[in-house]
Amino acid sequence: MKVSEVVQKVGLKAVNEYKDREIESVYISDMVSDLIASAKPNSVVVTLQTHKSLIAAANLAAAAMIVIVNGRKPSEDVVALANRTGIGLFSYDRDSWAFAKNLVKLGVQ
Amino acid sequence: MDPCAHQWSICNVRHGYLVEESCYECGGRLSFFSAEPTPPMEKYREGRHYWAYLASFQTVKFDLKCRACGRIVDLNDVNGLMLSECMDEDCQVGALVRQQGPESLVYVAICPNTTHSSGKCVSCEGIEALDQYFKAKLAPIGKKVTVVPCKLCNSIDKCRGTSIADVGLTDIV
Repeated sequence: MKVSEVVQKVGLKAVNEYKDREIESVYISDMVSDLIASAKPNSVVVTLQTHKSLIAAANLAAAAMIVIVNGRKPSEDVVALANRTGIGLFSYDRDSWAFAKNLVKLGVQ
Repeated sequence: MDPCAHQWSICNVRHGYLVEESCYECGGRLSFFSAEPTPPMEKYREGRHYWAYLASFQTVKFDLKCRACGRIVDLNDVNGLMLSECMDEDCQVGALVRQQGPESLVYVAICPNTTHSSGKCVSCEGIEALDQYFKAKLAPIGKKVTVVPCKLCNSIDKCRGTSIADVGLTDIV
């Protein structure tokens, strides 16, 4: 499934321009350093975090997209770094569990 | 020359805390990894140093293992990674950032004693393995990355960059 399909079907708000990459996995964590060791390449990273360190870690994890839940918004410097790394940032109004259920409904495993 | 075209993967994942301390006597700073359930905060004397707790962050450490030859590279001397945004003309990392341009990102591997008073930094073997691991991981999606040791920074404590650390987890509002 492509990033754009998830965006459209789940109703995510795009925070920046994104590359439409193929999604192969999902990783839900609020621990940024854990991403490097645990997230698989081309993952959807689902988190509450909005630190710049999130982008630095997600880049090394080869993440396909980052979904920030609970309607939280990243600051401008975070968006600028996401643009530089080419990672799509998205905002979702509900919590991680609600987003995860949507992914399962879409067939993302 | 190493005959194996290494295929690195992450192994020996350890969860714990990165603890930062400073010395009352010389102003030096050090950091270490603690796998204890809570980070140690006691003051202690070590030779001419008197170390006091500064801060701690949750973190993850790991080693790299080659799937082809089975070699394991110990990364105990890596306390963290920092995405460099250095523009300092006199800094080797800054020079590399400018030379590589915006398409390629430079990450600095940070060692436990960033003053490098002992002359030690992250091992060449560790830097090479990290660089190969992340290059191999990011190349299929067209991204470029270089990993360098913190000894190349003029001053890692003043360097511009984004450290990968779990700071502020309790500040979520």
